[in-house]
Amino acid sequence: MEHLSKISVNNVNKKFNGQIVLEDISFDINQGEFVSILGSSGCGKTTLLKILIGIETCDSGSISKDGEEITNKKSSERGMGLVFQNYALFPNMNVWNNVAYALKAHHVPKEEIKTRVDEVLDIVGLTDFARKKPTKMSGGQQQRVAIARTLVMDPDIILFDEPMAALDADIRMSLRKELKDLQKKLNKTMIYVTHDQEEAFSMSDRIIVMNDSHIVQYDTPNNIYKHPANEFVKKFVVKHLDEKAKAIIDSTK
Amino acid sequence: MKNFFKKIKPSTYLQLGLIAILFLFLVLPLIFMLFKVGGNDLNYVFNDENFYKAIGNSIIYSLAGSLITTILATIVAYYLSRLRIKGKKWIIILLTIPMLIPTISVGLGVRSLFGTSGFLDQLFGIKYDGLGFFDLILGSVNFSFPVAFLLIYDAFLYEDRSIYDASNTLGISRINSFFGITLPYLKTTLISAFFASFTLIFADYGLPMEVAGKVKTLPMYLYEEVLSSFNYGRGAVISLVLLLPALVAFIFDVINKDNGEGAARKENIKPSKTFTTIGLVVVILVAVILMIPQVSFIAISFVTRFPGDMTFTFNNYKDAFSPYSSVSIVKFLSNSLIISLLAGLFGTIVAYLTGYLSTRAKGKLAKPLHLLSIATLAVPGLVLGIGYVFLFNNTDGWFSGTIIILVVVNIIHYFSSPYLMAKNAFNKVDKNYETVADTLGISKISLFFKVMVPNTIETIMEMFSYLFINSMITISAVSFLATYSTQPLAVSITTYENQAIYEMESVVSTIILFINLIAKIGFDLLKEGIKKISKGKAEEKMELTRFQFQFLTYIEQNNMKVLTQRQIADGITLSLGTTNKLFNQFVEDDVIILHKNKKIELTEKGYKLLEPYKVRKAIIIAAGFGSRMVPVTLDTPKPLVKVNGVRIIDTLLDALYAKDIKNITIVVGYLKEQFQELLEKYPTLKFIENPIYNESNNISSMYVARDIIDRCYICEADLVVSNPEVITKYQYCSNYLGAHVSETDDWCFFKKHGYIDRVSIGGEDCWHMIGISYWNEKDSTKLREDIDKVYHSRGGKEKYWDNVPLTMCKKDFKIEVRECLKSDVTEIDNYSELVIIDPTYKNYKHK
Repeated sequence: MEHLSKISVNNVNKKFNGQIVLEDISFDINQGEFVSILGSSGCGKTTLLKILIGIETCDSGSISKDGEEITNKKSSERGMGLVFQNYALFPNMNVWNNVAYALKAHHVPKEEIKTRVDEVLDIVGLTDFARKKPTKMSGGQQQRVAIARTLVMDPDIILFDEPMAALDADIRMSLRKELKDLQKKLNKTMIYVTHDQEEAFSMSDRIIVMNDSHIVQYDTPNNIYKHPANEFVKKFVVKHLDEKAKAIIDSTK
Repeated sequence: MKNFFKKIKPSTYLQLGLIAILFLFLVLPLIFMLFKVGGNDLNYVFNDENFYKAIGNSIIYSLAGSLITTILATIVAYYLSRLRIKGKKWIIILLTIPMLIPTISVGLGVRSLFGTSGFLDQLFGIKYDGLGFFDLILGSVNFSFPVAFLLIYDAFLYEDRSIYDASNTLGISRINSFFGITLPYLKTTLISAFFASFTLIFADYGLPMEVAGKVKTLPMYLYEEVLSSFNYGRGAVISLVLLLPALVAFIFDVINKDNGEGAARKENIKPSKTFTTIGLVVVILVAVILMIPQVSFIAISFVTRFPGDMTFTFNNYKDAFSPYSSVSIVKFLSNSLIISLLAGLFGTIVAYLTGYLSTRAKGKLAKPLHLLSIATLAVPGLVLGIGYVFLFNNTDGWFSGTIIILVVVNIIHYFSSPYLMAKNAFNKVDKNYETVADTLGISKISLFFKVMVPNTIETIMEMFSYLFINSMITISAVSFLATYSTQPLAVSITTYENQAIYEMESVVSTIILFINLIAKIGFDLLKEGIKKISKGKAEEKMELTRFQFQFLTYIEQNNMKVLTQRQIADGITLSLGTTNKLFNQFVEDDVIILHKNKKIELTEKGYKLLEPYKVRKAIIIAAGFGSRMVPVTLDTPKPLVKVNGVRIIDTLLDALYAKDIKNITIVVGYLKEQFQELLEKYPTLKFIENPIYNESNNISSMYVARDIIDRCYICEADLVVSNPEVITKYQYCSNYLGAHVSETDDWCFFKKHGYIDRVSIGGEDCWHMIGISYWNEKDSTKLREDIDKVYHSRGGKEKYWDNVPLTMCKKDFKIEVRECLKSDVTEIDNYSELVIIDPTYKNYKHK
């Protein structure tokens, strides 16, 4: 082995009511890598994410982390955090308590809770908002609360389920950069599920392109753009990005 | 695979536990009752002439009572639902006051009016010889009215009134349309209300005890058989007969749960002045008449000796509250309060837990748990009480004969309502919380107490209030189970009745009414207070005025351009003066920057101010089969039909994408697979399937998409958008797009005070309705709830969704018309129009 695989997915299959959702999915993700799973609605990407984090089981195949099989491990024992699309923050708690809640539930000593929560709120830049209720915050801020909530448990890997889908383009742009910086700072493996080609291309080290329950290509953004694996990738990714780029060039003329 | 044996989840044990509790306290007593029925008892009862007389009497007066109740409730609900007046909430509280007192108190009120030496006799000399059917019917209408009224009123609120427009134009009178349209529409509800009243009246014995006189009813027969001879076997036989109508009603309700009926078109009735006057008179008259028995017994509670000595006195209350007097009620009052508080507390806990486990814990036990919970509705209190006597007669001292058995029987008797309240509340809580907890390693128990409970606190209070109030008034369920030392206040009325101490009966009735009224209003106020506090916190955001909004969106659209104040003023059609004021204020507040080269820039702060008004997403309804576009739509769903080379829906999607609104959900149905081709050009599209698009109206499409309604456009999919600027990035308030027309035979709006007042098909000098609407945060929330409510109401599936905010639930919304030109958006209505616009379809052949 050249380098230690942080995550290794082997021949995962999944059916819902007889319908194939994932077929023979295999891939590796390296430590510290930022990998996007890109595909349009219904391609199986969300199911894959659920199986990775352990809130859905696979029919066959296995998942391992650092060489240890975790296929049947409980979600909370996998050392992974998940940021939801709708964030699912607790409306009755303020930001600080949203973040501190999991630590309290694990009976972490008070002093340590305070240190850790303050630390992650500082990392995501929400120190000033600690006493605010999430319902009063903007979408971007809510997302940062959601990230802080998973960060505080110190996961090795953070998974994102289309976290920016509900946000505006302007905010999305700045959040992409923010998230990428955050990833560099933390040096954590991140797996990012999205349908947005630009998002995937602007942030990822590598991209898993999915279509119709399969992985069609897994490569760096550059390679995918230059050497699309098939007609689908060409149409769905390359052509789209070209049109987008053209539009931007046109508008600045 | 090591996980060969799946661990049984703790929630499964809890579900099993609750099923066991309901089985023990609901099913088992009934089974025991069945087994206690001996041949002798059957023989005795079925050969007893009095039994048949009692059945006959009961059926006659229950039929008459429930029939009158249903008619009266229908009339009152009809008027009240159509009146546009303030203070409806208080009228409804007045109309439902009989729910707050025991039926025996109603009887007392009726008797004190009409009985020998009653008020009417004493005041007007109106004599009425003895008690009987007349009083029975009068009293039963009084106490069964609120239940029937609430059921029917609810149905009226969600009825689609559009059809009356049609009948108005056809010259059909209001009375004829009431019988021809309203009644058939309400059929199922009316039958439900009739059954509900019938069951209530049939199984009640509080009222007959006071007023029946020689007319023995079935519950009285049961009561006398049991109490006179302590023959519980005979009681069981009679109980089984009593159970019948409730069972029929229960089965009828379960079967008819989802059977929608009635047709939906659009509306609308404006109540005329005469109508309002008549309506008010009817409603207030009924409310006053309903109050008479209550007023009557309250009056008697201040009388020295009824009917002999009618002098005013406070002594009755003094005696009642003195612990040493022979008529002291202190002990009973404390019993009642303890029982009601405990039933409220534990009943809420058990019902809340049951609601939680039947909604949020998966597994095969959720369904049986649900069925057992609602089955409690079918068992009359008297029957449950007898069942308890059989099952628990060996538990003397530690269960039977104690306060505890009374608490338990109350909880079971009134279980179904609080259970359903909890279930509905849990269905509304974010579905992702359990997953969040799983990934963070937070236990379900912790989540339950730290998140579920705080977020459903209003429901918990409602449940407690319901159980408390009903435990205060129940007699039937507890009468066979209470001993002298555990006797609750309501049962003590029967004791005073046997001793003919009417003043004390009245005192007790008044106290119960007083306590329950305070409890009801208190809980209502408390609930509203909590709501206001949590809402007030959420609404602390800074709001823009409409002028400020117009100003800032104009700058946003022309960001970093050279603009004079004159240009801005013209662009947003404001006076130069106003524009100047806004301009200076915004520069001062760092909302905009005026650069040296005269370019104007919107700052970060400016964007933040606009943020709340940003359109978040779009929902497009594309499920239907475009029947008028046949033959083209046989092969292609209408939105995907190409007009001059461009798919119809692309004009809308392009306009949305141009304004960076990419969170778009399309509700698909007919030929749904074909929509996948859109993903190539618009990869952010999401699809939701409407599985019943062909057997329902378009409300079903909104229903499947209801959870995602939030600060969004809702659009029809078959509009050709020729001016993409009709889609804007920001919206100030909820609105429909509309084009002013002098005459139309299509759907159109009429405005009043700037808001949409009504929709109709066809009209003059009105706004032609265009199927693009925007819903702000507040209205999105209401729309989600209202769509859900209407969809589940009778005939709800047959509605147009637009009629929910514009007609049926109009009072919840204030919607403006956003003006555009008729040429901005075109609807291609049918095949021949398509051919005119795109002649290549002239010789279209179905593949």
